[in-house]
Amino acid sequence: MSDRSYDPIAFELFKNALFSIADEMALTVHRTTYSAVLKDNMDYSTAFCDGQGRLVAQGLTLPSHLGSIPEALAAVIRRYGDDMADGDIFALNDPFEGGMHLPDIFVFRPIFVDGQRLAFAATICHHTDVGGRVAGSNASDSTEIYQEGLRIAPMRIYERGRPNETFFLFLERNVRVPDKVMGDLRAQLAACTIAERAFRELVGQHGAERTRFFMEELLDYSERLTRAALADLPDGEWSFEDNIDDDGVDLGKPIPLRVKVTKRGDGITVDWTGSSPQVKGAINSTFSFTRSASYCAIRSVLPAGIPNNEGYFRAIEVIAPPGTITHAVLPAACAARGLTGFRMVDTMFGALALMLPDRVGAAGDGGNTGVSIGGYDATRRPFIYVDFTCGAWGGRPWADGLDGNSHMFANMACPSIEVTEAEQPIEILCYELLPGRAGAGRFRGGVPFAREYRMLEDSGVLQVRSDRRVYPPFGLYGGQPGAPSRNAILRDGAWAELPSKFCVEFRKGDVFRHELAGGGGWGDPRERDPALVLRDLRAGLLGAEAARRDYGVVLTPCGSAVDGAATAAARAAMPRRSAAIVRGAEDAA
Amino acid sequence: MTRLRVSADIGGTFTDIVLLDGEGRLRTKKVSSTVGDYATAIVQGLAEALAEGGLDAGAVEEVLHATTVASNAILEQKGARTGLITTRGFRDVLEIRTLRMPRLYDLAWEKPPALVERRLRHEVTERIAVDGTVRVPLDEAEVEAAVKALLAEGVQAIAVCLIHAYANPAHEKRVGEIVRALAPEVTLCLSHEVLPERKEYERTSTTVINAYVRPIFEQYLARLTAELGKGGVSAPVLIMQSNGGLMGAAEATERPVHAVESGPAAGVIGARALARQAGLPRVISFDMGGTTAKAGVIEAYEVSRASEYAVGAGIMVGSRLLTGAGYLLKVPAIDLAEVGAGGGSIIRVDAGGALQVGPESAGAHPGPVCYGRGNMQPTVTDANLVLGYLNPHALVGGALAVDAAKARAALEERVAKPLGLPVEQAAWGAHAIAASNMIRAIKAVTSERGRDPRSFALVAFGGNGPLFAAGMAASLGMRRIIVPPSAGVFSAVGLLCSDVEVHLTRTWRRPTQGLDAGALQAACAMLEAEARARLAADGFPPERQDITRSAQLRYQGQSFELTVPVPAEGDVATRLEEAFGAEHERTYGHRAGAGEPVEVVALQVLGRGVPERPRMPERLMAGTEGPPQPPRAAYFGAAAGWIETPVLRRSDFAALRPGPCIIEEYDATCLVPPGARAVLDAFGNIVIEL
Repeated sequence: MSDRSYDPIAFELFKNALFSIADEMALTVHRTTYSAVLKDNMDYSTAFCDGQGRLVAQGLTLPSHLGSIPEALAAVIRRYGDDMADGDIFALNDPFEGGMHLPDIFVFRPIFVDGQRLAFAATICHHTDVGGRVAGSNASDSTEIYQEGLRIAPMRIYERGRPNETFFLFLERNVRVPDKVMGDLRAQLAACTIAERAFRELVGQHGAERTRFFMEELLDYSERLTRAALADLPDGEWSFEDNIDDDGVDLGKPIPLRVKVTKRGDGITVDWTGSSPQVKGAINSTFSFTRSASYCAIRSVLPAGIPNNEGYFRAIEVIAPPGTITHAVLPAACAARGLTGFRMVDTMFGALALMLPDRVGAAGDGGNTGVSIGGYDATRRPFIYVDFTCGAWGGRPWADGLDGNSHMFANMACPSIEVTEAEQPIEILCYELLPGRAGAGRFRGGVPFAREYRMLEDSGVLQVRSDRRVYPPFGLYGGQPGAPSRNAILRDGAWAELPSKFCVEFRKGDVFRHELAGGGGWGDPRERDPALVLRDLRAGLLGAEAARRDYGVVLTPCGSAVDGAATAAARAAMPRRSAAIVRGAEDAA
Repeated sequence: MTRLRVSADIGGTFTDIVLLDGEGRLRTKKVSSTVGDYATAIVQGLAEALAEGGLDAGAVEEVLHATTVASNAILEQKGARTGLITTRGFRDVLEIRTLRMPRLYDLAWEKPPALVERRLRHEVTERIAVDGTVRVPLDEAEVEAAVKALLAEGVQAIAVCLIHAYANPAHEKRVGEIVRALAPEVTLCLSHEVLPERKEYERTSTTVINAYVRPIFEQYLARLTAELGKGGVSAPVLIMQSNGGLMGAAEATERPVHAVESGPAAGVIGARALARQAGLPRVISFDMGGTTAKAGVIEAYEVSRASEYAVGAGIMVGSRLLTGAGYLLKVPAIDLAEVGAGGGSIIRVDAGGALQVGPESAGAHPGPVCYGRGNMQPTVTDANLVLGYLNPHALVGGALAVDAAKARAALEERVAKPLGLPVEQAAWGAHAIAASNMIRAIKAVTSERGRDPRSFALVAFGGNGPLFAAGMAASLGMRRIIVPPSAGVFSAVGLLCSDVEVHLTRTWRRPTQGLDAGALQAACAMLEAEARARLAADGFPPERQDITRSAQLRYQGQSFELTVPVPAEGDVATRLEEAFGAEHERTYGHRAGAGEPVEVVALQVLGRGVPERPRMPERLMAGTEGPPQPPRAAYFGAAAGWIETPVLRRSDFAALRPGPCIIEEYDATCLVPPGARAVLDAFGNIVIEL
């Protein structure tokens, strides 16, 4: 490093300052936003790009937005080039021109210093509604983009500080909850304004020339860190396949996701060739979202401290053929593509578990279930409740999967039950862990939970996107798969089962119940510490029969201690389980 | 006989005792904390301090105390065995938390274990609706069964948290009666009494923590009082709350949940007292010790408070956006931003070739390389030693010997060589980067809230605060730094400045449009009556009770509130809306149009017990000063280079002196950089002007 031609200390100070601006933007969005999807699920991101549109600093926000900003900003630059001025602001949401799915509205503000475009402040927010046929604009059973809502091509929404009224009126008239959407958009604009002010101060300290140089160096620095970390990983090629149950339209038709991870030296390639062609249902992923999923999984096996920017991406090549579910083209519907993203991350983790058996665990519940309940009250005022939920991790090579913890791809929080009941015509009847559903293993999978929602308004629409019904979360190295997910509705006193993805009328008094899939286990269940089996048993998370059947753990007659001798005998009679990948009972031995 | 006021601040390593006599003379004593039996260190330290001053234990008129007993019980999972009774269907609210984790991309994350394990969490059939109506009646037989099961498990405490109990506490009260009847000896905490607010996780967590620490806290206070009594001190013991007010021992026993973060709060209260005395309405408090640095803000002579915080989250969280660490407490607390940067923070060069400081820390044990206790990774203190800022032979008034050569060698080998820099430049860089990390804490309480740090003065304390203050102030564009006497034990000094306070909050949700001002004032009056009753119980007659009413508001649909005062008269709704809009604009840089619906979310009452006479004397006099020290070379960056720098005592600043100079004191070292000037003010503070 001694050949360095600049001041490393000034650089570090610059880097701290720039990332703190990106975080400050994120805080502004967080604290002033209106919709639950932003304030609780934190489904938004903020970032800083250089004048050419390269991502320099992403705030600590949603991992599933990691790869999206460069593509979106490139679309703006393609359309407007140098036709930008101080005070301009641009927006877009079109998945086929820079966006990811319609609810995600991107906002960019170019920042000029002495007439030169030095940077862009960027925010993405998932909006509660952008119109279309189903409230919440995220139905999984739409079959073309035109059903999903308002498409915004890269567009100038402020010109030299003056709002483009056509845009704002158009938006306002085409969404179901304009107060929320406009309020959230205001938060995005405020974050960009705050960023602009802070960035100008930074340029004031360092000068334009050095600012440009440091932003460039920040990319190189991330690349160096990434490549150094990748060089420490083993070389080779690892393939993994997982399946989405179906797309909610072609029911029962599995959708394969195939990935090949190739690591050579200090670079890595992620190739999704062989994955399903794009599907009719709305779970098609844009290429940018596929990149996000790939980046997120690799990031999780690298050391902490690598700045989130394009330098990190340079060491990672992602391949996804157009026309597939991993790189959808017009007119694919993609509103509910979150599911595919989560499954791509799980598929990546599968491949990385083969590469790094002692560092990566089995599959979790499969990524978040989306529940949307929307309609109109007696005075025709619209209501929309959108909840994304997930919570069971797969067992890990050193510890159990977490119970009630968000998925790596989207660090979301659950909305408070009491707040939900105060704001929505819904009553939540339970939110509790489900016994007997975690995949058995030396380290068991995470315990999933159930939620029940009762409708209090006369009528509305219930739309659910879930999965892991047919293809449960896989176990690893002898660990067993988790139990599948479940949906059911209580109507007129009787429970009826529902498919994993559906859209139905939700009437007053109806109760919808969702059960997450259990996390997959890791390692041979016979090797699990009997004391941990006893702990789960006494916690009500495991039955005595399952303890014996799945773990070979036998209790003393009083039921409060492990019978050591009987346990040893029961375990000796059980088959050894060591299969690397356990997708179902047939793989178990 | 002179009256003595005593304060005791327990920290992880040291317990600080401060005695203040009627003339304003401070006597300080630092003794090692006695982990596991904290009372012993206090009683011994106090006895020694009294003996050194030739003072009589009977002269002590009050003992003010900040303690880590409650937070340690939580962090070490050593609270009482606690059971929880909750609504059927919601057994796991405490364990599921908010689902979120404080670290992204971390496959090794482990959630903090629930303070009540699942088998001790019992459900009962009952349900109250959001409007307070009973949807499902309480099944009392199930309650009895649950209580008996918990007793059979040997619980010492039972927490009860039922859904929407804040809206209608009837079921919780009935559960409480049944617990009382079956188990009169068990500690009982009902959620509507501990925290009558909406949000089940926050309420459950707070109620459980109260139950979990209460038996421990009760025992501790009883023992402390008894031990003090044996030593001849029979004065009342007052406990510091996380919100910066004191509370009596009886109240503290009932609601220890308010005393969890008491130490850090005391420092900010000290800074507020200093601000009021010096006539500085806007002050940032900056407290830096061995492992963490904390920043707080004072505006219009008042501290700023947060409505919730997480115990043990502190330095695990790199950003305020990442929640989910630690144990959540929804009680008012002085708003502090904390970063993992201190004298023990480790300096290294990362794989990308950048210089990094922290968050890894060598702590107090083994501590910096210069302590010679086996750590070979250079720390911030080692860098300060190389730069000539710290005494090259010993710290803490000579009590702690240091090896400067060792520090220099470690920094040379591990930092300077890989970077290709001379060692003093590497040390200078590490010092600057540590400062820039800590600047993030200051920004978190200022610019992230729409406040411009340049309009504030910086009050620096803690063992390392006065060493970094001037440099940080310079990069933030701040002009004035104040270093109080006894800066290294300033939290204990802050205790002496605090008043008895009662903070009450109640969920009260109404749109401001068509607001019934009478109903709002009536709800405030109910809170006020409770606050007055508690103050009266602490011995404050009505004429010495000071009450302020405030309200938390937000735009309908938002989920973060801003607090504004409740006007006593006039068009209450319009004035609330206007105050809220102005605060929103100030904090977030924008406000909605006039037609945007605003709602009141909660009402707050703060009751303060006004002391009979001023708590603090006009001027504090710190203890005796050490002998004069020779000047030494200190390094101030490539441009200024090495400068022969005088090492001075506080009393040397009676007249204005230009930097550079170093002030060495028993408990802290202060740096006045070149270009700055420093002078002693009328209150014994060193004031540095940039």
